[in-house]
Amino acid sequence: MNMGSRELRPWHLALPLLLMNLALCAVLVSRAFGGDCLSAPIDYDVGKMVLFHAVLPRLAMAILCGFALAFSGAILQQVLRNPLASPTTLGVDAGARLSLAITGAFIPASLGIGRDLVAILGSLSALGLVVFLSRGRNFSSINLVLAGLVVSLFAGAVSVIITLANDRYLVGLFVWGSGSLSQISWVPFLELVPRIALSLLPLIFLWRALEVLEIGDESSSSVGVRVARLRFFAVAVAVLLSAFVTASVGVIGFIGLCAPMIARLAGARRFRDRLVWSGVLGAMLLWLTDAALQVFGGQSSAFLPTGAVTALLGAPLLLFMLPRLRFFAPPQALAVGMAGKPVLPPRLVSLVLIAIVLLLGLTLLVGRGPFGAWQLLGPSGLEAVWLWRVPRWSAACAAGAMLGVAGLILQRLTGNAMASPEILGISAGVILAVAGALFFFGAFGASVQYLVGTLGGLSVLVLILALARRSGFAPERVLLAGIAMTALIDAVVGVLSATGDPNAILLLGWLAGSTSGVGVAEAQFALVAAAVLILPVLLMARWLTILPLGAPTAQSVGVPTKKARLTLLVIAALLTVTATPIVGPLTFVGLMAPIIVVYLGLANTTLAIGASALTGALLMALADAAARTIAFPILLPTGVTAAIVSCPVLLILLQRRWRFA
Amino acid sequence: MGNADLGIAAPDKCLRTVDLGRRALLLATPALLARPVWSAPAEPRVAALDWALTETMIVLGHDPIAVVAAADWPRFVVEPALPATTADLGLQQEINFELLAYLSPDLVLISPFLQRLAPQIELIAETVNLSIYEDTGSPLALRETVTRDLGVRLGRDAEASRFLSETAADFDALAARAASLQHRPILVVTFVDSRHVRVYGPASLFHNVLSRLGMQNAWTREVGYFGFDMVGIEELATIGDAHLVTFDPVPAGVLPRLAESPIWSQLDFARFDRISILPPVLMFGALPSALRFGRLLIDELESRST
Repeated sequence: MNMGSRELRPWHLALPLLLMNLALCAVLVSRAFGGDCLSAPIDYDVGKMVLFHAVLPRLAMAILCGFALAFSGAILQQVLRNPLASPTTLGVDAGARLSLAITGAFIPASLGIGRDLVAILGSLSALGLVVFLSRGRNFSSINLVLAGLVVSLFAGAVSVIITLANDRYLVGLFVWGSGSLSQISWVPFLELVPRIALSLLPLIFLWRALEVLEIGDESSSSVGVRVARLRFFAVAVAVLLSAFVTASVGVIGFIGLCAPMIARLAGARRFRDRLVWSGVLGAMLLWLTDAALQVFGGQSSAFLPTGAVTALLGAPLLLFMLPRLRFFAPPQALAVGMAGKPVLPPRLVSLVLIAIVLLLGLTLLVGRGPFGAWQLLGPSGLEAVWLWRVPRWSAACAAGAMLGVAGLILQRLTGNAMASPEILGISAGVILAVAGALFFFGAFGASVQYLVGTLGGLSVLVLILALARRSGFAPERVLLAGIAMTALIDAVVGVLSATGDPNAILLLGWLAGSTSGVGVAEAQFALVAAAVLILPVLLMARWLTILPLGAPTAQSVGVPTKKARLTLLVIAALLTVTATPIVGPLTFVGLMAPIIVVYLGLANTTLAIGASALTGALLMALADAAARTIAFPILLPTGVTAAIVSCPVLLILLQRRWRFA
Repeated sequence: MGNADLGIAAPDKCLRTVDLGRRALLLATPALLARPVWSAPAEPRVAALDWALTETMIVLGHDPIAVVAAADWPRFVVEPALPATTADLGLQQEINFELLAYLSPDLVLISPFLQRLAPQIELIAETVNLSIYEDTGSPLALRETVTRDLGVRLGRDAEASRFLSETAADFDALAARAASLQHRPILVVTFVDSRHVRVYGPASLFHNVLSRLGMQNAWTREVGYFGFDMVGIEELATIGDAHLVTFDPVPAGVLPRLAESPIWSQLDFARFDRISILPPVLMFGALPSALRFGRLLIDELESRST
């Protein structure tokens, strides 16, 4: 696929995709009549049976779902003016997954009324919460996306814990989570068609207004578009589309993010073109994936969910097209800056910092005795606390501090409030390496796990830096490359998890951020690493203050833009790589800590770095204390507990006015 | 595990146990008090962090003092029943070390999946790694070896031999009953959702039990390392004449969905109602679970043939 200097048109992509799809379908059909799967003497034609009631409905489902998801993504990206928006970003998938996990674990019989219904209710309540949280400021992009992110992180974390505690009941959730299109009748397809059609209906009325939105919120208002109401209805349409698909076949998140982006990259400039071509390309991509999977994967015994494989194919395509990317939304729409006046009087700053340190100490002491009674110190006094609690606690604090600083660097460099270590894809690289090693070589020691994880994270970093190099490390591109990597890697993990062997359950524990493998040596390492990596960042405070002002400004005051960015990115990556093996990849602390610091209004960058580290450490320490005590004698994984502890904090912050630039 | 160790450890433990007696009344986790540790000759106090090893311990007559996920035991293992006094160490992925250290067992049994935590567990007690997960091709034989090893570890060689010969006799009796049944190949699956099943193939414990009973597994394709694979329902279309066996709980809503499918309703076992739902059996169990599967299966087939 050589783009050369020719003008790229959407059909340049769509046509070859269609041809490939038709060829693959021809193979599938001829296979059914060739009868190569007939082995047992049976009194009906198995090949035809499977073709008509499994292969064909599955293809139809792929086309329909691809279309609906891409449509949904295109609408969301337009209405939120955020190229990173997708049904997944707004918590729709996570909401559905959580409601399925809760019903599956606690009231399994109710799943009988309808899996679809349960999932849709979950999606809609997640959306309801997101809308409620971002209701101020006309559902502005940043609020909506942030609220969506928080809700989905929270729902995701809760469902991971439920899944962990009930793993034997919830195998289906793994399969559903990685999106299998496998069908055994036309019924689900025929149920989905009217739902999709009905969801599309309101678009007739929203169409014009959505096109006008391209000129920006304020200009749209001035020509009579009620931006808030439009946004509400358009988001509702998009969510319904994806909720119906998700309820029916599971999570196929990448299409909704990728297809609209590819359509835009392929030259669909006007909203109308983008919407139509997103739908077409989404359908083609999912069709291609699924047909290829049926043709080439059918004979192998391995189970491959289509949703996961879609990401495997889509992510490289996105990475390939990345250099051609032009953002249609001005990046300022996402900006998070420090221009607001400090909220905190200087006198209070030191008080807050002291309070944080005191709280840190308290979290270490709180515990529960062998019979569940709450107590300071452990049952066997200081010795047990020293041997078992201190390593966990200090490693968690060190990881929290590292993630807090990494998040601060990333948010400052990208000017994007959503930028956190996991979005950069580094955490994902760490997971992939460890997951792969776990599956190919079996269980291994904690130190080997650290080494393998570090190598994985660093490779992702190198790859992302190489990809972004040509654009001079422009923040959006680094972020997008990271998202592609994350999707790619999540897909691989999804496939591995769906196999359902005991290693997958172990992996799930690790993904949830289990600190049970942390001993004294690991804790010492984490503390030293935190000190070694965070101190240089304090010395680079000037760069962090000036870089967000833009490259021209930075250069005019003598900051070597490229070198400064590269250095800071490498440090952020190292911080993440070191922290991820300790608390797992669900590093929500990296997202929350810097945002809390912004809220506190610490204008001084050096102070903000220190406060990010302390806040991150405190969030993890609180998580550690909660994980040890809430469900005693059951310990919860610290990483996921951190998400559950941090999310309400962020939700409270979201209720206030954001002090963004 | 020498008795000398126990002799030294006992007084200390005795003190602690007495000290905590009052609090034990407030919130019952009686495991700690269940066995008066000063009574001689003391049995080693064992924590078992793997269910297969736990159930083997119980049938050998040596109850563990603590296990992982004790609360889930009645739902997934059912028998042998877990003694009510057993302490719960929480999730297998996130073991409560503070509690384990407090219980101060003499011996901790782990599986290879916990090997990475061995350095920490060894700070608490001697740690033994016994595996039922090795790729020997014969899960049943592996479980016999593990039973024997565990017997040696616990000083219960005689009980282990007795249990092994009883199990062999039980299997023989079941095989004899199976021989007098008119049976088809057995397809063992668990329903994942209404579109996917896990099928148990030649490397699985269930397959091994079927062969031991002189029966045939209907799934002859190669399967993954742990003896099962996830497949779409449509792949069952090539099975032909078989009796489908699955376990409780079948996820809600699965059977009605399946009934809508032309593929499913054309399958022989669906057409002629050759589908049996057995009570839960631990897939990664040891000999007690294997025997339980055999017994439940033959009982079910007999009840159908009459």
